[in-house]
Amino acid sequence: MASAPNVRGLYTALRYRGRTGMWTWMLHRATGLGILAFLVIHVADTAAVIYWPEFYDNTLDLYRSPFFRVAELLIFFSVLYHALNGLRIIVQDFWPMVMRHQRTLAYAAAGLTGLLMLPVAWLMLAPLFGLAEEPGTERHRLRMDRSRENISTFQGPAATQPAAVPPITGGAR
Amino acid sequence: MSAPADARGAARTGGGYSRPARKDHRSNFELYSWFFMRISGLFLLFAAVYHLVWWNLIVGVEHLSADLVRERWTNPFWRLFNVGLAVFAMLHGLNGLRYSIEDYVRGPGWRVAVKTFFYTIILAALAWGVFALLTFDPTIPARPA
Repeated sequence: MASAPNVRGLYTALRYRGRTGMWTWMLHRATGLGILAFLVIHVADTAAVIYWPEFYDNTLDLYRSPFFRVAELLIFFSVLYHALNGLRIIVQDFWPMVMRHQRTLAYAAAGLTGLLMLPVAWLMLAPLFGLAEEPGTERHRLRMDRSRENISTFQGPAATQPAAVPPITGGAR
Repeated sequence: MSAPADARGAARTGGGYSRPARKDHRSNFELYSWFFMRISGLFLLFAAVYHLVWWNLIVGVEHLSADLVRERWTNPFWRLFNVGLAVFAMLHGLNGLRYSIEDYVRGPGWRVAVKTFFYTIILAALAWGVFALLTFDPTIPARPA
């Protein structure tokens, strides 16, 4: 139970001169909540592939729009930062001696995230500006060739027994 | 509800307070929650980062399609992997959201309302995702041929 709530505005919160600990805490929480918001949408729409693959393919058109490509990069950053900063928290919890170096470690987690984001940002954004090919283009081409050789696209193993369906009489189909 | 005077426990020499005596409830829930965040966090550190690298940097969002996802899901290992990823990520996120709600929503009635609202959305999405993964049958084509 908390003591009497002392609620102030965001402005007061941002003016509060906390140091690295406050900023890493805020970033950890903001990235975590952001990932959660995306996760709910992502799980719900991906699960649609079992019944409504067309719906899934339509949502993908949305994910391919430039706005979402930038948002996906932001999600990549969020997961990476949350992961590395979370690792720092775990190490500090189980090995209290390193608390002496917590500020260095906080900078290390942020710095490593920034460093790893450089190639990731290039791979994810360069195709938008025509500076590089979309990742996986070669894989995709091979897959398309393979499916063309097999005439039809992938449908899973053939059903063992055709279902006994009475012939449809009349109607357009 | 204001806290009782001894809620913080006794002051310690050198600063801080000792663990308060438990009076209101006997539950280790917060301990398990703390532990779960670390265990699931370690799992997600590898699983979620792998998932992002695979789909964003190796497959490419441009090349995604329902057919590709269904092809991946024919392998039971990847279905199981996705169940684990969804369950751990959602529960880790749900618990993180709980921390946030308890930080910002102070009124007991509001807390219940806000928690109910978000828990319902998150658990419904998780249930739907896990249902899809567990009932997925590759022998049933999604579209009529």
